[in-house]
Amino acid sequence: MGTIFRHTLSRMWAQVLGWGLSFAALGWFSVWGYGALAGQTAQMAELLKAYPPEVLAFFGSVEQMFTPGGYLDSVFLSYSGLLLGVLAILLGSGLLVSDEEAGRLDLIQAYPVSRTALFAGRVAALVVALVAVVALTWAGCALGLPGSRLGIGLGALALPFVSLLALLALAAGLALVLSMALPSRSLAATVAAIVLVAGYTVRSLARVNDGLAAVARLSPFNYFQSGYAVDGLNWAWCGGLLAVGAVFTVLAWWAYQRRDLRVAGEGSWRLPGMARGR
Amino acid sequence: MNQPAAIVTQQLTKSYGPVRALKGVDLEVRRGEIMGFLGPNGAGKTTTIRCLLDLIRPDGGTVRVLGLDPQAQPEAVRACCGYLPGELHLEAGLTVESALRYLGRLRGGVEWPHVLQLAKRLDLDLKPQIKNLSKGNKQKVGVVQALMHRPELLLLDEPTSGLDPLMRREVLRLIGEARDDGATVFFSSHVMSEVQEIAERVAIIRAGTVVEVAATTDLAGRTLRRVAIRFREAVDASALGRVAGVTLLSSPVGAALQLQIEGEMDELIKAIAAFPVRDLEVERPSLEDAFVAYYGARESEGG
Repeated sequence: MGTIFRHTLSRMWAQVLGWGLSFAALGWFSVWGYGALAGQTAQMAELLKAYPPEVLAFFGSVEQMFTPGGYLDSVFLSYSGLLLGVLAILLGSGLLVSDEEAGRLDLIQAYPVSRTALFAGRVAALVVALVAVVALTWAGCALGLPGSRLGIGLGALALPFVSLLALLALAAGLALVLSMALPSRSLAATVAAIVLVAGYTVRSLARVNDGLAAVARLSPFNYFQSGYAVDGLNWAWCGGLLAVGAVFTVLAWWAYQRRDLRVAGEGSWRLPGMARGR
Repeated sequence: MNQPAAIVTQQLTKSYGPVRALKGVDLEVRRGEIMGFLGPNGAGKTTTIRCLLDLIRPDGGTVRVLGLDPQAQPEAVRACCGYLPGELHLEAGLTVESALRYLGRLRGGVEWPHVLQLAKRLDLDLKPQIKNLSKGNKQKVGVVQALMHRPELLLLDEPTSGLDPLMRREVLRLIGEARDDGATVFFSSHVMSEVQEIAERVAIIRAGTVVEVAATTDLAGRTLRRVAIRFREAVDASALGRVAGVTLLSSPVGAALQLQIEGEMDELIKAIAAFPVRDLEVERPSLEDAFVAYYGARESEGG
């Protein structure tokens, strides 16, 4: 399992650095920018009134936009959850199926490695990769703190990123289980992305339309605290996101145990159905 | 104490949706032998091999590999096997050396000097990236990884595919040496000459069923033989066409005649003795001839 973990992680490092450093730079700029904005809150509030509420809904609560939590939510973390969610979906959907579609899994699983060990090694690498991306992003934001007037410490700044990590774990788990059930990686990633974007949209529109509140409760973004976690993390929400992600992962493991590994030319590409149990 | 056979399958079935890939495959590969596995594309060769390694799960029947059930003890089975897939795909960004080192770590217990020795025999450069290798060189990587741990059982799906004649010969030598060291080899191939060269027995699979298991020499010798006869003078040899199993390939009237015979030659030889024969040549069929004849006969039987 250690060999698989290290090898999988080595394949992910370029994506981890690419996404992590990009979001670190964006985070640094966003946090640093609060200082410049803090002196113009009245003008900004006046400007924002000119926007329709449906548009503003996507930027969080206008009333709280100039609090540290509201600011972090609206200028950075809210959409970071969506964009980094796409990374989690890409990594999750390709964790096993990209090798299967490329014909490489056939050889690897012919080695004396159990399916559980392969699965666990790869999931562990995925978790570490997501933690590294989130940690880099947090570090970028932390670098911007000294020049900003956010008035929060490194510990408080870390809390939204714990919530972000839980959201990403759920997105990756969803993509992983879909990749086990659907005929191709691209379809699994597409379906997972649709779920993520729909969840984000419904949660945002629910801020201006109470009728959507019930549906929004089904959205993972409803339990993603984003920047508001600087005022205190809702551990139940965070744990809930992680638990759902874990359930998806366990379901994916269960499906992988029973799966026929596919290779091109075997006539099974259109048939992702499970083999009979032992 | 007798060891169990290297491979035993009984009534092995496997379907991909509506397509019945295996329809009850019965097969036994003895310890220490090289068995060739022949069949046209889509006959079920790869599906059978993949069932042996628990890469796919059969719908019915039983499988035992080295006495073990691949579904119950997949890691134990795979630890004893070296596998070369029919379509070998490796990570394109790795060098040959890093790919082999990774696979060696994954398997465990691989002696790197032995890997280097295999690579040297196959003239395989370890430095290039996989993506820059030709098909033949990729195949060499596949052969090395299959042999690197000195497995008890080699499962090779088209092992010489893409190799030049010299390397093909070297791979066949390596397979022979593995057998000499006690390994069992079960390999599929479309190249009849190489099956004939190294396999002691041959199993023929057709449309998901093993239709023939025989010693390679028996299979090659049992079926069609071509006979060319030159007479001292022009004769009417129509009588030869009435001998059981004989098909005339040229006109029965003249100083030369070509025919083919299926089965024993005794009756034909006695019939030929009635004519003034100058020369007689019997061409032994290759395994390929036997294979084609076998399929031709079955195709016509099946309509």
